[in-house]
Amino acid sequence: MTTTGTACPSFGELAEYWTSDITPADAERIEAHAFTCERCARMLEEADRLRAGIAALARSGSVQAFVTDAVLNQLARDGVRVRYYALNPGESVQCAVWSDDDVLVTRLRGDFTGVDTVDAELRLDSGDEWSNATGIPVPAGATELVMALPAALVRTAPQIPIRLTLRASGGNQQVLAEYVFNHEGALERAPSSNDRG
Amino acid sequence: MTLLAFGLYRSVVSSSGTPPFSACDDGVVARAVAAAAPGESPAAETELYRRFAPRVRLFGLKHLSDRGAADDLAQQVMLVVITRLRAGEIREPDQIGSFVLGTSRMMVAGQRRGERRRAAIIARFAPDEGTVEAAYDVALDSTRLAPCVAALRERERSIVLLTYYADKSATEIAAAIGSTAGAVRVSRHRALASIRECIEARRAS
Repeated sequence: MTTTGTACPSFGELAEYWTSDITPADAERIEAHAFTCERCARMLEEADRLRAGIAALARSGSVQAFVTDAVLNQLARDGVRVRYYALNPGESVQCAVWSDDDVLVTRLRGDFTGVDTVDAELRLDSGDEWSNATGIPVPAGATELVMALPAALVRTAPQIPIRLTLRASGGNQQVLAEYVFNHEGALERAPSSNDRG
Repeated sequence: MTLLAFGLYRSVVSSSGTPPFSACDDGVVARAVAAAAPGESPAAETELYRRFAPRVRLFGLKHLSDRGAADDLAQQVMLVVITRLRAGEIREPDQIGSFVLGTSRMMVAGQRRGERRRAAIIARFAPDEGTVEAAYDVALDSTRLAPCVAALRERERSIVLLTYYADKSATEIAAAIGSTAGAVRVSRHRALASIRECIEARRAS
């Protein structure tokens, strides 16, 4: 049990402590409070666990998301094995996931002029939807979106073409671009001569 | 009131031998350490360590950006605090939280100036912390967290990844996703609230 003379910050405020946005004055205020309030100290710890968990999840290549180069750079620094593809609208690519891949990244190039969010739909050649994402933010002037998929997820995809369609969010759902992944499945690397006994 | 509480503590100790320190104010616990002969109040010292070592560790994590260094800092600060309490050198035990924070700040500043680590103090005064959880479970169970992150909206997922994985500021994130710093902060708060609710819901089910 501890006592405190100041009002408890919200969880959101405490979570800000773990971001680079916190000002030194606010950090000091939160520290002064947390050292006299066990409840808030526990919440501060919970916020730390949450951010550590999110980082660990990203580092493990388990997050499916549209990302930026900042995330890709961090993946590279962390030694995450990333396989890259780049596609222009209307293009298709022969693709596969190898046993040592962690993440598959595709740069989806296109003309996103006047669009601030898009929806993405991944549909199997059979017509079944495989995955979708809505409300993907598009910064002004963007010429590509970067899609990251966990390799573990891609390994479960059937070996048939998968069509990705990007549409403008809301309103008329105008199709912006389509891309085709000719998925060749999960591949094992043949052991090198050095691996053979 | 605190004197009364301390009196109660003494009477409970004498009657049952098991002081209910977990229910006491910080000041009561600190004064129990100060009042006893060195090493004669292990329960109070353990309780003080249990309460404050995690906070020092968090402080160290923020300012030293290294979990190992934060663990070291927690141990060093708590050793200094307990040693000074034992020696009667802390004039206001009721303000023990402020004292622990001040000590943490001084030690971090000292480390930053390249001051020598206090290994000698640890070797000489290390209390028995065998009953205390020294290192906490850092990350959440990914099997519980992953579906909750997956359930976020794309925009929110991008923001939490950029914040907590790529260590970007709200201003940098705003530029990357075409938004404003204020809107990024709002979305981040909303995302964290969603994740917490989701984790709780999954725990309950």
